[in-house]
Formats: sequence, structure tokens, C-alpha cells
Amino acid sequence: MTPERLLLFSAARQLFALNLQEVCEVMEPQQCYPFAGAPPHYQGLINFHGNLTALVDLAGYLRLPGRPLPGKILVIDTRLAHLALKVDAVGSILDAASITGASSHEDPLTEALLDTPQGNVRLLRLETLLTGLEQELQQNAPNNAKPGGT
Amino acid sequence: MDMSQYKALFLSESREYLRTIAEQVVALEQSPGERSAVDALFRGAHSLKGMAASMEYGDVVVVAHSMEDLMARVRDGAVPFDAGVADLLLEGVDLIDVLLQDVEQERPSTLPTGDYAQRLAIYTPAPPKAAPADQAETQVSAVEAVPSPAPTTPAAAADIAPPPAAEAEKAKEPAGEAGGTVRVKTELLDHLINLTGELVTNKQRLLTIAGELASPALNDAISETAKLLRSLHDEVMKVRLMPFEAISDRFQRSVRSVAKKSGKEIHFELTGREIGLDRGMLEQLVDPLNHILRNAVDHGIEESGERERGGKPARGTVRLAVTRDRDRIQITVRDDGRGMEPATMIAAAIAKGILTPEEGELLSPRQALMLSCIPGFSTAKEVTDISGRGVGMDAVNAAIQKLGGTLGIESEPGVGTTITLRLPLTIAIIHALVVQVGQVKAAIPVNAVQRTVELSRRQIETMGKRQMFQLDDEAIPLLSLNRVLGLPLGRFPDGILPLFVTEARGRRVGIVVDRLLGQHELFVKQLGRPLSKMAGVAGGATLGDGEIVAILDLAGLL
Repeated sequence: MTPERLLLFSAARQLFALNLQEVCEVMEPQQCYPFAGAPPHYQGLINFHGNLTALVDLAGYLRLPGRPLPGKILVIDTRLAHLALKVDAVGSILDAASITGASSHEDPLTEALLDTPQGNVRLLRLETLLTGLEQELQQNAPNNAKPGGT
Repeated sequence: MDMSQYKALFLSESREYLRTIAEQVVALEQSPGERSAVDALFRGAHSLKGMAASMEYGDVVVVAHSMEDLMARVRDGAVPFDAGVADLLLEGVDLIDVLLQDVEQERPSTLPTGDYAQRLAIYTPAPPKAAPADQAETQVSAVEAVPSPAPTTPAAAADIAPPPAAEAEKAKEPAGEAGGTVRVKTELLDHLINLTGELVTNKQRLLTIAGELASPALNDAISETAKLLRSLHDEVMKVRLMPFEAISDRFQRSVRSVAKKSGKEIHFELTGREIGLDRGMLEQLVDPLNHILRNAVDHGIEESGERERGGKPARGTVRLAVTRDRDRIQITVRDDGRGMEPATMIAAAIAKGILTPEEGELLSPRQALMLSCIPGFSTAKEVTDISGRGVGMDAVNAAIQKLGGTLGIESEPGVGTTITLRLPLTIAIIHALVVQVGQVKAAIPVNAVQRTVELSRRQIETMGKRQMFQLDDEAIPLLSLNRVLGLPLGRFPDGILPLFVTEARGRRVGIVVDRLLGQHELFVKQLGRPLSKMAGVAGGATLGDGEIVAILDLAGLL
């Protein structure tokens, strides 16, 4: 079911949307502190109102070619995750009534492909995104490093 | 009338009653004739029923009512308090616990209460079996809980008679405002500790600025603020402390259940139930302690016959003791079972390819015992469905290290085993060693750091494929933290390698980093999804200059 209101944004020259209720803030790029042991699309940690929040480059995670833009940061509702997505730009808030068509998409991360006045938009499933990120971190875990190498 | 506003209070009080009922049941098994305890159990079930009825939680009412009726029959002498009654009452406690979870989640009851009420209504004790006295002893599985209201030595605890159960029950009546106490939502406590932590972070920031300004007046003011903050932190932490007894009933029941399944006679003692621990830590101790206790009963304690042949009492003893020394908590689980033999542990590790025979010769007895904390290591001869086959001590060790604690094992073959957990009083604010690896900084809790060393390249020896150095006459293997974290290796142009020594897999390891940046007081923040799933990271913290560092969980990393 399509949410009542969606937040439109772009990454890697594609239009995406998230349920507006899943996003708590849109921020300008800010100081980010790298940490070790995570895949390269984890840009680091940011301090979001006291919550240490992972900043993930969405294009990098989706293995899409990134663009050298300062971009924006979408902070996911802190009740759901401590996650912020680095995207290229944030557009408008889209009312469900203005969606003219919707079709399914084979990618499990995509809830639906929406026809909107702004063009085709991939509505993302946040839970699938979070699960995917978690599974990737678990697979990326240090593999019982053996003592001896300096 | 909208009762939802009272739901949290109902849940909190009901769980206190359940805990009390469970404790009383286990205590009554030792002293079935304790009239005051029977009355206390009856009142507990009655109060629970009344509260549930006023909130219109019908299923809870039915179960509590059945328990109350059964206790009334016990009180009136129609039914003796035996193992069957205890089992039924504990089953009722479990049933209500699940029902309360449904209430909390605002979902329909997921657990049908089935014929529970009917089974209680028609319960009649099994006729006593005519067995010779010497056989009867070995057939009975029993657990005795010895609650102790004051700290005492484990040795002395065996001789302490349990306090009157009614007094214990009275002490555990849900706290009301009349007694000068007030119920506070746990979220508020979390918020208070969060604010205190932020203040600690800001103090570090002020210290950094003061260092740049070189102002004595500012330094004095910060020093005074630091003292006040320490007091504030200590007071807030006290508020967050919950007595160990908040989780201890589960251990009594767990030991009772394993003893019953394995057909062993166990005397279980618990001391220090009144010791306060950070409530965030308590819940995370349940699984590790349960595992240690179940292992002690299932694998540690011998069968009665074997014990008697070894000149021991037929009944084995397992002691769980909690003590506090200033800002450290110590929890010991001591059994008088068969103990562990270091040589057997080493032989098993060599046979499994975990160690080479040469490495095995280098291990001290203490290090050999710690081999049991390596994943997949077990010397148990039989797999049981009770505690598995030694599986899980690695998980126990990892869980304790994640809490900033340490696990130690002492054992004497034929005499018994003692497992000691040493834990910080709080997991919210810790001291950590901050290190530089590649382009990132990381923090390691100081209780995981045995010492720091600046090692000259000349001191490094190569043994096979491994690089080692000598410390206190012990060959310590070296490991690069950069390599573990997948970062470019350090170069060390001056020939000096900074490292810290820690313990991994039962032996000391030197972890080489690019730089040691010093010790910091950090306010630990938990990382939410998705980073909470990342192995080797225990949380994050903000340094005085606002920089964020990940706090490494070495047990998960190595």
C-alpha cells in the first residue's frame, strides 16, 4: 500500500522515495567520522542530536555510479534506526493522490515503481534496506584473524 | 473507564508478584511446612488476581485464581506442598508471564491457558513410592535456595538458615509512595544518564579548550565541575541500580530444572541477591549466568554414586555469589563437582587442531582452562539436551567482555570449579584507551587492556609464520589491529611499534596499532540499526573535541 505522503530524492541520477513518516530530518552535509571494518559505502558516523548515526552513501550501497555532489543527508526516524542516507538532492513531498500509476519491481528493495508528475520513482522499502545493511555487516565480519602478522 | 494509563503500573507490579511467587515456591520446596510462606504465596496469587480483574485481563485472572485455589488447599492441609504443587505453580508463573507480554504488546493472548485451571483443581499428590532409603536419596532431584539478606562468605552461607519466607515476601512488596519512594519510568532514568553522559563529554571538550587557552582560572572551574559531575554520575547510577534478585529467581528455577532432568541432587545457594547492578547490565547477564549454572549442574556435578565413591556427599553444591567492591561487581559460580584437568584441556585442543603441541607446552594451567572459551571447544564426553556439549562458553565470555567485564576460571580436579565474572558497576561511562589505526581512531575499554608497550623491531622474533615478543618470560604473539580491521598496515619509520596487550582465546596477544592516543573517560552510546549487528563494535562515544569513535569489542573482533 502506498503511504499517504512520500519524500522524493535523487541518487545516481535516479529518483527515489521513502515514506515521509520514516524520515525525521533532512540535513546539509556535516562532519562525519570514519570507522573501520565496514564496507566502503559507510562514510562514517555523524552526531544527530546525540545519537551516533551511521552515514551510508545510498548510491554506493546500490552499486550505482556516484556523483561528486555535496548532496543532502536524510536521517531515518531514530525510533526505527540510527541511519542516515547520503543522497544527491532532496525534492518535494509527494501526496499519494498525485501518483498516476504504480507497478511492482523485481528488486526486493523497491516496494513499487511509481508514475508521478516528476517521473518514475522507486519507492524504497526501509525494512528491506535495514535488513540488507545488517546482513552485509554480518558477512563483512572479521574472519578470525590469526595472530602473527604485523 | 480508560484503564490504559494504569497498564505500566499493573505490569510492573504483576511482575514483582510473579518474581516473589517463583522465589517462594522454590524456597518452600526446602521447607514445605513453613506456614507463613504458604500464606504469602496465597496472598501473592490473590493480589495478582485482584489487579488483573480490575484491569479486565480475564486470562490472567483465571490462572491466578487457580493458583490461589490450589494454595488455599495447601493452606487448609487438604494437599501437601510437594514437587507436583511446585511444578504447577511455576507453570502458572510462566503462563502469566507470557500473558503479561501479550498485554504489554497490546496483542490478543497468544497462549491458550488450556486445561491448566482444571489440572490444578483436580490435583492430588502422587502416593509415596515404597523404596529403600538408600535408593530414595538418589532418585530425588531437589534444589534448595538459601536466600541471604546480608552479604556473607560463600563458605558461611551454607550454614545460614533461610529467613522466614513471610518476611522475605514482605520485603518484596511493590514499593509505594507512602514509604518515601516513588515509581519512576525507566525512560526517565535513561534520559538522566544520557544527560549526565553528555555533560561528561562536554567536560572533556572544556578540558581540551582549557588546554589550548592555558588559563589557571578556567582549569580550576573545570576541575570543580568535574568533581560535581562525578558526584552527579554516581547518584544517577545509584538510581539505575536494581538488586540482583530482579533476575535471580530464574537461576533458582534453571538449576532446579536441570537437576530434575539429569537426576542429580543439587543444593543451590545464592548470596548477595540484594547487591545492586546497572539495570542495563542485569538483563544481559541472564543468559551467560544461566549457561554457567546449567553447565555446572549438568557437566560439573557428578552422579550421586560417583560422588560417594569419591568420598563426597551425595548431594552436589552449586553456589552463586554476588559481591561488590567499590565500583566493581564480582559474580562467582562455584561447584564442588569433578573439576577440570588442564592437561586434558590442552590435549583436547591439540587433537582439535586449535593448538600445536609446542604451543600447548607454553600454556599455564589458567590459560589451559580458558581454552573452554574458544568456539567449538569442548571436552564433555556426552552431549546432553540440557546444557549442550560445552557449547556456549565462548558466547558467555564474549557477552561478559561486551559488558566490559572479564571471565576467569579456576578448577581443581576432583574438588570443583569456580567461574568468576568481574564487571564494572556501570556500562554507561567507561575508561578507554584511544588508538589510531590508519585514518581512524578507535577506543578499547581499559579493562580489556593489560598493559601498553612500545616495542622495538629488534625485540620481535619470528616463530614459524608468527611474530612474537617476550613479555614476563612469556612469548606473546603479535597481531596488527590494522590488519584485523582491513586497514593499510602501519609503517613505523622509527622502528618502534606501539601495542597493547590483551587476552584473546585464553592467551595474551600484543595488538599493534599506529599510535596510542591515551586514556579517555567515555560515555558509551549504543549503536542502533544497522551498526548494532556489526561484530567487534560495542558502541560509540564522542571525544572532547567532538570526534566520534567506535568502541571496539575485542572478544567479538579477535
